[in-house]
Amino acid sequence: MKTQTISKTVLTFLLFMILQLLVFRNIVIQDYAFCFMYIACILLLPNELSQTWVIPISFLVGLIIDIFYDTAGVHASACVLISYLRTYIVQFLFPNRGLETDVVLSINGMGTERFVRYIFIMTLIHHTLLFFVEAGTFQFFVVTIIKIVSSVLVTTFTIVLLHVVFRGVQHR
Amino acid sequence: MSQLLQLFYRIRHFFLFIFFELISIWLLVQNNNYWGVSYFNSSNYYIAKSLEASRSLTEYIDLKDVNKSLVMENIDLKKRLVRLQQADTNPTGLYKPDSVFASRFDFKVAKVVKNTINLTNNYLTIDMGSLDGIEPGMGVIGPQGIVGQVKSCSEHFSIVYSILHSRFSVSSEVLNQKLREEEVQALGIGKWDGSNPRYFKLTTIDRFKPIIKGDSVVTSEQNSIFPSKTMVGKVSDIKVGRDNAFFDIDVKLSTDFSSVTYVYVVENRLTAEQKRLEESITEN
Repeated sequence: MKTQTISKTVLTFLLFMILQLLVFRNIVIQDYAFCFMYIACILLLPNELSQTWVIPISFLVGLIIDIFYDTAGVHASACVLISYLRTYIVQFLFPNRGLETDVVLSINGMGTERFVRYIFIMTLIHHTLLFFVEAGTFQFFVVTIIKIVSSVLVTTFTIVLLHVVFRGVQHR
Repeated sequence: MSQLLQLFYRIRHFFLFIFFELISIWLLVQNNNYWGVSYFNSSNYYIAKSLEASRSLTEYIDLKDVNKSLVMENIDLKKRLVRLQQADTNPTGLYKPDSVFASRFDFKVAKVVKNTINLTNNYLTIDMGSLDGIEPGMGVIGPQGIVGQVKSCSEHFSIVYSILHSRFSVSSEVLNQKLREEEVQALGIGKWDGSNPRYFKLTTIDRFKPIIKGDSVVTSEQNSIFPSKTMVGKVSDIKVGRDNAFFDIDVKLSTDFSSVTYVYVVENRLTAEQKRLEESITEN
């Protein structure tokens, strides 16, 4: 990996975490739609990075978020799950590419449609686990489903938007 | 054996995944059992500090709502306080006001939209008018003390005589321990002399009453527009007047007129009745 890639990744990482903890933590639309855009940290880690690193990093990300949200373990478990499934989802989206490391996880590297689909699927998995674990039971099934659907839409939209904006900043 | 190790190596990510999931679940369960004891929550010093910092950035956005709710709470408390005070004016028990009299005051919150303090006759404009039930003659008090009296109303606004007005006077009373022990009242008429918007003159208190610097000055019982014992200010200077019979007292006003924003308009439900009765005497 190039130093440039590493520094860029670390910067994006910090930016997304700070945004999540300082800004998006306070934004909840109508008590249902949460925005957990911090998972972009995990989704946009370079694809060539080995899973041996991705999984612990994701756990750490989830843990930090948990500490701030007072929900020990909830975010961490969801983050670890998506970090494990990441490779398989990428393989699923690009069945023709032999080497998974070829794919660059960005809107340029994947094409807009695939990128949005990738973000959407990952967000859906993350939020489904997250909200059901948080609810603790299946008792509030309908409410949880509403939360998941609305949050997935908001989060996907926010991540894609931020990605496009930051890409624009970088290219200037 | 080596094949087994190879298999383990191939699915090492799965083991990693399972390992971290187990930690997460352990945290989850532990956190449910010992709520708040765990190290991994926002009671952690550094986490709490950073949350506090982020909160302080956004705090001012909520100020308007916070302010509104505080004012509403205040008005509610004020109502109860006045009702209690009015029901319990004389602890000796010979006189007991009935409940209609005790609860004759009602309050409304208004916001000051304009205010002058440097003229000889000062007025405030508040954002409530006849449609909100404000009528000329009602008293106006602020969070710290008295403010004035409603002069005239339009539909949505009212003009209020500030107590910093040459023709405004308020029947006041000085309170201190000694006066209470001797069971005497020090009643006087408070009036603004037109010079300093922080001070107020109190006259017609005879010079043999034991009054010292720092005593509270409040509205007296003989007052139909303000609830009695509403704060006016504190005695800041005492001189014997030119006629040698009365004190000439300077009172530092408790209300800071340069910064008054919310005021309470006091409605006395029995004013009309009292007036009617008093006027019937002069007619005959």
